[in-house]
Amino acid sequence: MNPQLQGIDQIAGTYPFDVARSVERIRINRFFWSMTRPEYRERFVRDEAALCKAEGLTGEETALVLGRDWLGLIRHGVNFFVLEKFARVLRLSNLDVYASMRGESLDDFLRTRRVPNAR
Amino acid sequence: MARIIGGIGTSHVPTIGLAYDKGKQDDPAWSPLFKGYEPVARWLAEKRPDVLVFFYNDHLTSFFFDLYPTFALGASPEFEIADEGAGKRSLPRIKGHPRLAAHLVDSLVNDEFDLAVFQERALDHGVNSPLSLLWPHEPDWPGALVPIEINVLQYPLPTALRCYKLGQAVRRAVESYPEDLDVVIVGTGGLSHQIHGERTGFNNTEWDMRFLDLIERDPMELTRMKHADFVRLGGAESVEVIMWLAMRGALSDGIRKVHQNYYLATSTAMTVALYEEPAASASGFARAAE
Repeated sequence: MNPQLQGIDQIAGTYPFDVARSVERIRINRFFWSMTRPEYRERFVRDEAALCKAEGLTGEETALVLGRDWLGLIRHGVNFFVLEKFARVLRLSNLDVYASMRGESLDDFLRTRRVPNAR
Repeated sequence: MARIIGGIGTSHVPTIGLAYDKGKQDDPAWSPLFKGYEPVARWLAEKRPDVLVFFYNDHLTSFFFDLYPTFALGASPEFEIADEGAGKRSLPRIKGHPRLAAHLVDSLVNDEFDLAVFQERALDHGVNSPLSLLWPHEPDWPGALVPIEINVLQYPLPTALRCYKLGQAVRRAVESYPEDLDVVIVGTGGLSHQIHGERTGFNNTEWDMRFLDLIERDPMELTRMKHADFVRLGGAESVEVIMWLAMRGALSDGIRKVHQNYYLATSTAMTVALYEEPAASASGFARAAE
């Protein structure tokens, strides 16, 4: 146990990303990371399911990708910062992703913010 | 001799770069952010530092988990702007400073900071988002930048104290560089925000204000905090403020905060603070005498 993380399991709705998680989930994290390359993005857009298969994603993982299940992906062990690349490919803003992880529509989420029109 | 004339703490939210690129400087929802950077940009224009030493984190762009360094220093003569999934921002390549970088590494490793060295890796929004508000860049940037990457996203992260000590070692390294260079240290990230999980959207302005007070006046108190404390108080991704501690470690106790701006619009408390070293006030004089 990392002593710096003592008590972190009591913070609800938070999924610390550590080396154990990273090792377990490197394949799907690499899948999203590769979206920094234009040719990879094109492959994804052309046939999402085919790319998931070619990259060895499991059926469960493929469903999370195709279903744009942002919270599910986080809970599965995907790091937020590779999901950010996925959002760019889908032309979604980070705010769209935040709203989804909270289980809210974008407008409902923005209504909870100090400056809702800063989008 | 090289010397440190000041430090800047700044958020590095990608949205800052995006709003800049979309020309939202006068949009009422964004102008409090852009206005907040103007005094810092003016100070930089006036003091004309030769180099910014930039503590930042790569957001799984140019580094991946196959090798994600705890500390890594960029030594190239220039760095590309990264493609983070939507193409590159139209900014000029960022100039590095290979001679200072080589000296920093020599000094840091002999000072027992065994960091990795990288070349020719693109810099993502961790650098380019705040940089585009700090420095003019048409047709080119006015100075060089030495990036020092810190792992703030795959635990175990370096402790807050370790980051502070890295900053102290960077100060020793800069001050032992023989060439006359004016250096500004930049620490990026924060302040309060959480952008993953059901706790997404968490902020804590009260804590942010306390952090801003402590980073200036009593950084040692912050170095005693655990990562879990930062996560609880400021949200999961706010743990990256340990990079401000690296910046603060490189500054003296004689600093004076000359500017601060805090703007929490949607998800991240976007903040910029400028700390001036006593050496900075002699800057114009020294240059005039040169």
